[in-house]
Amino acid sequence: MQAKLRDLLITNILAIVLGLVASGLMLLFLGKNPVNAYSVLITSVVRDGYTFADIFVKATPLMFTALAFAFTYKANLYNIGAQGQFYIGAVIAAAGSLLLQNILPGWLVLIITLLLTIVGGGLWGAFVGFVKARYNSNEFLVSMMSTYVALAVMNYSLRTFLMETKAEYPQTDALAESVWLPYMIPGTRLHIGFVLAVLACVGVWVLLYKTTLGYRIRAVGYNAGAAEMSGINSKKLYILAFFISGALAGVAGFTEVNGVQHMLVQGFNPDLGAAGIGIAILANGNPIGIIFAAILFGALKVGGTIMGQMSGIPSSIIELMQGFVMVFVILSYFVRTWLENNREKRKLQKAVAK
Amino acid sequence: MIYLLSITIMMGTPLLFGAIAEVIAERTGMMVTAIEGIFLMGAWAGFVGGYLSGSLTVGFISAMLAGLLVASLYGWICIYLKQHQVVTGVAINLLVVGLCSFLYRVIFGVPITPLTVDPLATIPIPLLSDIPLLGQILFNQTILTYAIYLLAPLSYFILYKTSIGLTIRSAGENPEAVDVAGINVLRVRFLTVLLAGVMGGVAGAFYSIGFLGMFTTNIIGGRGWIAFAICFLGNWNPKGAVIGTLAFGFAEAIAIYMQSTGSSALFPNELFIALPYIMTIVLTVSRKSFSVPAKLGVPYLKEN
Repeated sequence: MQAKLRDLLITNILAIVLGLVASGLMLLFLGKNPVNAYSVLITSVVRDGYTFADIFVKATPLMFTALAFAFTYKANLYNIGAQGQFYIGAVIAAAGSLLLQNILPGWLVLIITLLLTIVGGGLWGAFVGFVKARYNSNEFLVSMMSTYVALAVMNYSLRTFLMETKAEYPQTDALAESVWLPYMIPGTRLHIGFVLAVLACVGVWVLLYKTTLGYRIRAVGYNAGAAEMSGINSKKLYILAFFISGALAGVAGFTEVNGVQHMLVQGFNPDLGAAGIGIAILANGNPIGIIFAAILFGALKVGGTIMGQMSGIPSSIIELMQGFVMVFVILSYFVRTWLENNREKRKLQKAVAK
Repeated sequence: MIYLLSITIMMGTPLLFGAIAEVIAERTGMMVTAIEGIFLMGAWAGFVGGYLSGSLTVGFISAMLAGLLVASLYGWICIYLKQHQVVTGVAINLLVVGLCSFLYRVIFGVPITPLTVDPLATIPIPLLSDIPLLGQILFNQTILTYAIYLLAPLSYFILYKTSIGLTIRSAGENPEAVDVAGINVLRVRFLTVLLAGVMGGVAGAFYSIGFLGMFTTNIIGGRGWIAFAICFLGNWNPKGAVIGTLAFGFAEAIAIYMQSTGSSALFPNELFIALPYIMTIVLTVSRKSFSVPAKLGVPYLKEN
């Protein structure tokens, strides 16, 4: 176990470094010095509290979408529609806040909106689980497709009933300050949603590893047939797992709309879903690991943006870094299996020699 | 109506390229989940090659090579390193988005007006295009459409009537048997993935230099996934893929038609844009039985 954990840390760190080196080499094409660029990245990220806190702001929705992927992953299901569930959550958060902000006190609106996004994102996700359970549809495909439908839903609502009063751009009016998520540190954008995200990570960990439901979900993931034999209703679990997964991704919409944007803008954060999957893989599906992996991706996002502003490096460097890191992380899975097998072999040889 | 059907065929062309490539690869047990990235890379390379050389032929060749490159990375990780196909695909798709927009910037900087090339012209086939109705729909298309007229039946013939096809299908149903027959399962799978890369690259280039004449990073917008879906809905059979493609091509033609005529009062535009995706879900749900290749998505491990 000890050796396994060591392998995990070393290979993951190596994967991250290699991913960054690979994207650094790409900078040479632009005639930029990658060492300079990265030192700009590091120094600027810690240059002031605002920027540093922004890392955690960016990490917040990523934790939710990563949890969304990791949760169904444990049941050996693939929810790659977190992006869509996030959009649905965002639409509901914006609509709910705008509708209620003048009627109810702010804190009550926030709680109601949060619950609405949980239900909305959850139902959007549960649909995928339902067609999987009822019609044995391919959940991977359906969840992917549901993202594009969610995007259309968002575009439609922003063009019609949610459109700003000026009716100029496809975006909503700004939310009243009373329904913003409270800031934690003055002078930064760090809002209470971050705490919510960390709590969600811990909650999902408890749910997965300390409750019967979590045990059942993992049992279905290991061996659906055997789980079914032992009396676990896997169909019901599919729907429930996808509901929870969708709800988690939906809450990302809530924290982004009420915590950061304070409005809904068409097609914002288009890579949350994919980055979430990357984070889940990096964390090996572990909810606690997701906290750290999400912070890393948040740092890449903040750093990449600043790199763009300061030295004319296009912001696509962010996707490049994320993509390279993800590919190297997958390669590190292979290296870990190889190391593990070697260790087993040596153990066996030792035992035989005795 | 003729216009709609002719667009159906045109927009179906790249989907069928992708779907048939996907059918062949999935028959060996390999889901090419990197197909979206392969499409995008093809679109990018097609545009870059076509723009810089001024020749669309060069564009399509670069698209094939770019698709091949992405597919070989995907194949290497999934087949030889035995990593998970869905996860690897997602990673590669994200990487490709970054690569395409970054390298576009490297090559072209930040152009003030969008760069364009003249898209592929349609070539009316003499005599055939004069057939009333059908001629305009089927035989006044680009060369890619004519290519797929040949490739679709050819792929069916190869899959079901030749020993190569038998090997391909067996690699996905019973790889051990293929191995015992002295054929390298991994190589069969890798080659079909490479083929998917080449065909997917062409399909991607269709969007950039075959149709729009320009490149943006959201040019593919899930069309790779639709090709992936068509393969499923077509029951892993080129015949089914053709039917599925026509349905999707038609849905897309309606969307294009609706956008060009302005939004209708009755239905919002977005409904038509989402139509192909809704259709996928409906069809996946309504389909009763699938003959999924037995080892689809399962890496082949040789026991020793």
